Amino acid sequence: MSVLALAILALAAPASAALVLAVVPALRKHGWPAAVLCILGSTVSFGAALSILATCVDDPSPRVLVVPWLRASGVTMAEVGVRVDGVVAAMLAVVTLVALCVQVFSLGYMHAEAKPAYGRYFAYHALFLLSMNVLVVAPNLLQLFAGWELVGTTSYLLIGFYFKKPSAAHAAVKAFWVTKFADMGFLIGLLTLFVASGSFGWDAKLAPGTATAVTLLFFLAVVGKSAQFPLHVWLPDAMEGPTPVSALLHAATMVAAGVFLVVRADPLFAQAPATRTVMLALGAATALFAACLALVQTDIKKVLAYSTCSQLGYMVAALGAGSVLGGFFHLTTHAFFKALLFLAAGSAIHAVHSNDIGDMGGLAKRMPLTTTAFIVGALALAGIPGLSGFFSKDMVLEAVEGKLGSLPWAALLATAFLTAFYMGRVVFVAFLGKPSGEAAEHAHEPGWSMRGPLVVLAILAAGGGVLAAPFAKLYGTEYHFEMGVGPSIAAALGISGFAFAYLAFGRARRERTPGLLSLVQRIADTSAVDRFYELVYRRAALALADGLGWFDRYVVDGVINLLGYSTLEAGSRARAIQTGYAPDYVLAAMLGVVGLAFWAVTR
Amino acid sequence: MTLSYCLLLAAALFCVGIYGLLARRQVVAILLSVELMANAANIVFIAFGHFRGGPTGQVFTVFSLALTVAEVVVGLALVLLLYRRHGDTQVLLASEMKG
Repeated sequence: MSVLALAILALAAPASAALVLAVVPALRKHGWPAAVLCILGSTVSFGAALSILATCVDDPSPRVLVVPWLRASGVTMAEVGVRVDGVVAAMLAVVTLVALCVQVFSLGYMHAEAKPAYGRYFAYHALFLLSMNVLVVAPNLLQLFAGWELVGTTSYLLIGFYFKKPSAAHAAVKAFWVTKFADMGFLIGLLTLFVASGSFGWDAKLAPGTATAVTLLFFLAVVGKSAQFPLHVWLPDAMEGPTPVSALLHAATMVAAGVFLVVRADPLFAQAPATRTVMLALGAATALFAACLALVQTDIKKVLAYSTCSQLGYMVAALGAGSVLGGFFHLTTHAFFKALLFLAAGSAIHAVHSNDIGDMGGLAKRMPLTTTAFIVGALALAGIPGLSGFFSKDMVLEAVEGKLGSLPWAALLATAFLTAFYMGRVVFVAFLGKPSGEAAEHAHEPGWSMRGPLVVLAILAAGGGVLAAPFAKLYGTEYHFEMGVGPSIAAALGISGFAFAYLAFGRARRERTPGLLSLVQRIADTSAVDRFYELVYRRAALALADGLGWFDRYVVDGVINLLGYSTLEAGSRARAIQTGYAPDYVLAAMLGVVGLAFWAVTR
Repeated sequence: MTLSYCLLLAAALFCVGIYGLLARRQVVAILLSVELMANAANIVFIAFGHFRGGPTGQVFTVFSLALTVAEVVVGLALVLLLYRRHGDTQVLLASEMKG
């Protein structure tokens, strides 16, 4: 099969699963058929993605198949279809692999759900994979935008999966609104791009001012989707969704769509150095800021959520420094180790029925596989030499070094240290040490469906570094690793982060937060940002909405109502003429004839 | 006898017809008034035909008579229906179209 046919197959498999699950409620009601169908679709999609990858490693040249879309007055405004090149092949493989792992994991994790909820969960998953694939294979930015909005919708559905819980429903709405606000930037940027260049392609040559405006608008969407400061507020709340959802959407794939957009639209971003500077600064700032917040969380998922913000900041900074390969490769390794961390955390949560790391502790003895998986993920995230995160972080740091007076570089190095520290904290408090309670003592390993994905992802998180060279080839460049000064510093910081975590949390189990951390907690309290938004929303947005509402009710509706009322009134007046008596009508006809005759004579 | 007298006669007949049409309340009387008006028109045909020469006026009058017959048939059918419906032939009874 040709590469393009395979790409269409990768779209069609989850599409048909989602469609069948949408129109046949019986499949959802019984639960397991939905799961089987969904995983079948993902497996086919993953197989197709692997074959595409195998072809594209040899020949990463772009192949495009499109049909016209949006015909207006004889002109085709846009096209819809598939485009396969090195970047798409890599991204498609990552997305489908992680999605498959997470779905298999969900088989066990969601087992206790009621059957219809179980079915609904997998139906959403099929829809998500379809949406993500639509986004990845998009031949132009318009289709990318369509996929972008679709993944936003499935994210909303899955965060609000436990919709009976008010906090989950609120979190879903919050995520939707925050990202939708940012997506306005995408839409306005797209329209600006279309007006300026006449197409939705990413290879247009723009005037410098236009390029900066368009890319800044796109970057606003990236800030929302990839949870960069100050629009990061939705991501920690999004942890209300089931843990596998957090792993797939809110760590590995969907939030990385923002990074993918910049990778795709790189020809546009390359024309706008100002935008790249903003990205570099904001990315580095987010990385450091979110890492500080991750230090003080006690909810294991919140730690990982802030860590995701932080690592996305790394990617954005890399893209801002002009290293598309660095950003993209970090996206890939991050997808592996963060999905692994979330799934391992999910396994622990499943065992102790609590998100709080204080309720865990000593899981290593009861759950050796989960613990090993989590530690592998933590070490990879911390950038310990040899593991995947080390290589991708090194690419990022190398790209950022020396830019903007080396401030972002310093911030990212500090982040690397903090990352190792907070991951060490979770490892020592939750997995090593002594059990903290009844639940932790009786924890046990989950079933095969949850263990299998952990093993697969652990292998990828550990050995992902070997993918660097093929990745560079897919992107059309070369990559050679050299153990110079930069990597040594990063490695030393990562190891010392773990060492400090061991000193602080490892030897004796500490219940209270150390003094320094509580200071950080006070400074970096994220609820301040939330309060700021609430204030802005209350004061400005509600007042504006009230004003517009008044205008709509009394002016727009008023005009319409007046028209309707006067028509009715005129009708009831005119009714009186119709007496229903034949002689009256005859008289009227006669008068008419006389009138006509008079007119004919006198004209 | 001139054309003017004939036309005056026709006009007078026509006005009598209009008066009957508007003033009478019995449907049959109204139909008779319509006949008067139609015959006023026939007189005009005959008069012009006579003074102009040729058969045209007379031919049109024959057509007109045939049409009037058809019209009376329809009219009487309506009268019959009105009677069946209301038990009387007062024209004011048929006022279902009142707005």
